[in-house]
Amino acid sequence: MTEPSGIRYHDLRHVTGQATLIDIDNGVVESAGTSFFNRAILRVLGPRGWGILQIDNYTPRSTKNFHSLLASAYRLAAITQQDVNLSEAPSRTLDVPPMKENPRDVSIEEKTSLLADIEKAAKFPKVVNRRANYIEQFEQITFSDSEGHEFSYEICRSGFNVLAVASRNGTVQMGYERVHSIRGFDLRHHQECGEKAAKVAVALLDAGHAKGGKMRVVLDPELAGVFAHEAVGHASEGDLVQEGNSVLTGKIGIRIGNDTLTIVDDPSIPEFGFEPFDAEGVAVQRTEIIRNGVVNAFLHSRETLAAVGNGVAGHARAMNAEAPLVRMSNTFIENGDATFEEIMGTCNKGVLLIGSRGGQVDPGRGIFQFNAEYGYLIENGECSKMVRDVSLSGEILSTLHGILLCGNDRKMHPGYCGKGGQSVPVSDGAPHVLLDNALVGGSGVD
Amino acid sequence: MHWWVVVVWIDQVLKEGIRRVDEVEIFYADGVEVSADLKRTNVNIATRSDECGLGIRTIDKGRIGSSSTHNPKMWRECLDAAIASGKLATPQEWNGLPKELFREHEKICYDSNLTVDPQTASDLLGGMLDGASQYSAEITSGTATLSTATEMIVNSNDMRCTKQHTGVSISLEAIKGQSTGSEFAQSCFFDVDPYFVGERAAFLAFHSADGKEIETGEYDVLLSPIAYAELLGATFIPALNGRNVHAGRSYLANHLGELIVDKKLVMYDDPFKEKGLGSTHWDAEGMPTCRIDFVKEGVLSSFAYDLRTAYRYGMESTASAIRSGPNGGTAIGHHNFIVDGPRTDVTDERVIYINSVVGAHTANPMSGDFSVELSNAFWMENGEFQTPIHSAMFAGNVFTMLKNICGVSKDVRQVGSLILPSIKLQKQHLIGK
Repeated sequence: MTEPSGIRYHDLRHVTGQATLIDIDNGVVESAGTSFFNRAILRVLGPRGWGILQIDNYTPRSTKNFHSLLASAYRLAAITQQDVNLSEAPSRTLDVPPMKENPRDVSIEEKTSLLADIEKAAKFPKVVNRRANYIEQFEQITFSDSEGHEFSYEICRSGFNVLAVASRNGTVQMGYERVHSIRGFDLRHHQECGEKAAKVAVALLDAGHAKGGKMRVVLDPELAGVFAHEAVGHASEGDLVQEGNSVLTGKIGIRIGNDTLTIVDDPSIPEFGFEPFDAEGVAVQRTEIIRNGVVNAFLHSRETLAAVGNGVAGHARAMNAEAPLVRMSNTFIENGDATFEEIMGTCNKGVLLIGSRGGQVDPGRGIFQFNAEYGYLIENGECSKMVRDVSLSGEILSTLHGILLCGNDRKMHPGYCGKGGQSVPVSDGAPHVLLDNALVGGSGVD
Repeated sequence: MHWWVVVVWIDQVLKEGIRRVDEVEIFYADGVEVSADLKRTNVNIATRSDECGLGIRTIDKGRIGSSSTHNPKMWRECLDAAIASGKLATPQEWNGLPKELFREHEKICYDSNLTVDPQTASDLLGGMLDGASQYSAEITSGTATLSTATEMIVNSNDMRCTKQHTGVSISLEAIKGQSTGSEFAQSCFFDVDPYFVGERAAFLAFHSADGKEIETGEYDVLLSPIAYAELLGATFIPALNGRNVHAGRSYLANHLGELIVDKKLVMYDDPFKEKGLGSTHWDAEGMPTCRIDFVKEGVLSSFAYDLRTAYRYGMESTASAIRSGPNGGTAIGHHNFIVDGPRTDVTDERVIYINSVVGAHTANPMSGDFSVELSNAFWMENGEFQTPIHSAMFAGNVFTMLKNICGVSKDVRQVGSLILPSIKLQKQHLIGK
């Protein structure tokens, strides 16, 4: 069978690999094993839009059989009505950063023992549950397209989470720590994470509720990174802009924050959201979404760049062998020049929010929400009473003007981001940030 | 892969497995899913997904191991990995997998009239667009998905269950200025109403435009089944999980026999609910399912158990094991979680209607505390949507909130595996701008 005529473009992304999971719950090894995956996605651009085949247990095909797959995908594309065009985009692959220690060189018995040490470290009075998980995923990715590009790489993402639950007289609170990386095995000498999770859980038993309302807040680097991700990152995704489902549509060149604010997404840096090339084989590079307070660029795939403009392609990502979506990778607020002490002093009265329990955004409405793990009231520029269950919501187009100071202590934190039913590894980061007039949600009352 | 071919190698896995361990359980599934996606009002992607997967669980002297693969031909490697994983697991009390319980071919969630093809998906999108045209709002995206799958659970105690199921899901998102609205529907049968879904999404976007602010204070609110499901799913449902209960991760652990919600309410799992998305005669371990009364007349009466947790803690399995697919392990869940109570008119007095919330997953699963942003909230009087509320936060505690339910709506809807009414709550804390 020859390649069907009328196909404007096709690409194939084949993902194989194995995932190792260890789960220790209150000293009991619940599971410690390995599973295997093998999945491919074939995209065909017909006369109008996409026809896509997703195939579990894919084996590379002979030319004749591959043309048969192309024909199947092409037939799917027959129902599409949207005129999809692809922008030109550079193709290039980066080297995957080397691992300091390859998890393959460590036995699962040793991994289990090291994880157990972290879990045991959370054993404190009033801690009623300790749970630790190790996750290690090796992925081999092969990409080829009808434009002659062929790339492949292997990457390993690994890390652990530890949870401590403290209870007293019916009050139940938790502390949670996590370490994830693309830089190799990192499970040794991390008992302090178990201890910290336990101490936070126990301390939260005595924490109060914040009183909701508008106030000044200081966000720690982890939460400020989530703020950048939720408040700006999603709304800058080119597919949402193309659909008219982002408040940043038409806002290129418009000021939405003060001069000190620059927000970047960069899949090329060696953080947890690193990609050597994107899910369309496009070279990855830094994109400044907000530059000195002004909307500068959107994140794009080849399709959304052609449809929307303003930005670069190279931001298409996919979970396993799912369809590529425009996604963030490593998203951060650039350092300013304020010290932590200056930020606290300028805040004077408010709340310091620490750690993240995640967040969510409605990009069309321009409303976001995210939740801190805990916080401290700030009085006279110093931390006072601990508070729990504090969240923050705001409007994208007005809240960023409230960033008064950016610190000089940026840190990145790994995590996972969900969109369209797909979860992909990302990192978010920022320095400490002072935010004025923030809407804090808490159930406390005077 | 044809089923007669599957049966041949499944027997090989069992034979090889029981030579090496006490018991073997195999889960195999394959299926097809077809979807069509809208970009604004035009279809821009049509997708077909051919899915298959094998999961193997082994038990040897109380040590439970598991593995999975997309490639059934790799069953030997998968079996080796499952047995190896079991060797590391802490041994526990174990009294065996179910024996010869079922051999029937279940089609409780199957519609032979459901056609898994792209044109049907495209027609569903067209139906939603027709409905959406009733209101002046722009469509941003939408999707229609059709699926069919066959699942088999087999174990070395001569239990062999197979079931076929079908599914259809549709959703549409709309925007009017900076006001968004969305709606969805899911069913195992080809009975979803695309016109209603489209109309509702556009209505929510249209009618939420030009919202007004509210002052911080206490308000009577009406939580739609969607908002109610979002808050229950993040906090209350995990607290019923027997493993969380015994491991110290459940707020409800020490409240068995106590009044935990309004005494007029019942909460139960009905695995035989007609047209329920999770309806089934057996759970993911092959145990025969039954109704579980979690809350009777407001009193906490039961938790949910799978075999592993039941054996460990000396309890009975409630046949609550679920699987998200062959490549995920078993977990404790529910089949059709239902909340019910005396149905009343909950819209006779002025309330704030909350269609959904932003950020429910950030609630504290241990304590039940939450603070979320409202989405598509309106003043409502006599059942009529009145002034939309632009923005406000809703803060509280789910476990406390459930004790203060003062009304349950006459109508219910399915939200995933939950079947819920709207609930009316008095004096809830809303934070305005």
